[in-house]
Amino acid sequence: MWTKIKWGLRLLLLLIVGLFLHYTLPQRDVVQIINTYNKLTPIGANWIFYSIEDTGTGVETTATTRDIRFIEAVYPDGKSVMVYRNEDTGWIWPPYFKWDSSTLQAEATNYKTDKAKPQWVAVTHYGWRIPMLSIFPNAVKITPVDGPDVTLIPWLNIVILSLLAFALFMLRQMWLQFRERALDPAVDRAGQAWDRVEAEGDVARARARGVWGRFTAWLDTWKGKPRP
Amino acid sequence: MILGWLRLALFALVGLTVVYFLTSIYSRSVRREKLEKRWVADGLEGDRDAWIEKGMQDYEKGLKKRLLWLIYILPMLAFVATIYFVNWS
Repeated sequence: MWTKIKWGLRLLLLLIVGLFLHYTLPQRDVVQIINTYNKLTPIGANWIFYSIEDTGTGVETTATTRDIRFIEAVYPDGKSVMVYRNEDTGWIWPPYFKWDSSTLQAEATNYKTDKAKPQWVAVTHYGWRIPMLSIFPNAVKITPVDGPDVTLIPWLNIVILSLLAFALFMLRQMWLQFRERALDPAVDRAGQAWDRVEAEGDVARARARGVWGRFTAWLDTWKGKPRP
Repeated sequence: MILGWLRLALFALVGLTVVYFLTSIYSRSVRREKLEKRWVADGLEGDRDAWIEKGMQDYEKGLKKRLLWLIYILPMLAFVATIYFVNWS
């Protein structure tokens, strides 16, 4: 029972961390841009999936309604589409330090093409498209690519995830070293000290038995018999 | 915007300082353990504590100890590189 709960909590933690990374780390879509526009967008309970207010594009409007730039794109299959928002990011999280939303919008408009002669681009973005919550991935960068079948290796994510794994490994090493060099000797010392105290106590008790022991034994004779 | 910048600088300073101290304690401990093991492996004789202290003083002045500054330098480089690649390149 207890192990099941423990494993359940571990899986939950792993899931949360995984979702968090999946939301935050950059991903690239190969798409064709078909439209770019601004739209006054009400922001309510889903605010956490939009830029915070003290970013460049955040302060331009009030907190509840914001003029947001959007980019519409279609995937190489010609049917499935994606809508990206194009907002500045803040200083803390997510750490993209993006301030060039206007420029990016101009680039997106520049790459906009007809379906007949498509210009394929790789849109670097983070975030999710969840219609129920009205949230959109944030486009970070647009680079032209040769064709719809181009293979993009996510070097950056490989590096970031490797660094994270390395950090976890080092944290474990540090903990093991701390336990071996500081914690275990301290516990040993405490154990030895305790043994010493106990040994001294035995000696003292034996010595005290002389006078004190006789006195308490005499006192005990005055106690009533234990009642049933 | 400026306040955001200050907040990030503060968080980074505090966080990286914690990492720096943890890593330097770890690194020092590993070095001391290595010295203790070398004392036994090489069968050295004499004042063991003085020999180990000497080794630790060499470590404090050595290259490895200085490389720990990378804990501050690398994240800052990553920060600057991110700004450059996102906004300009």
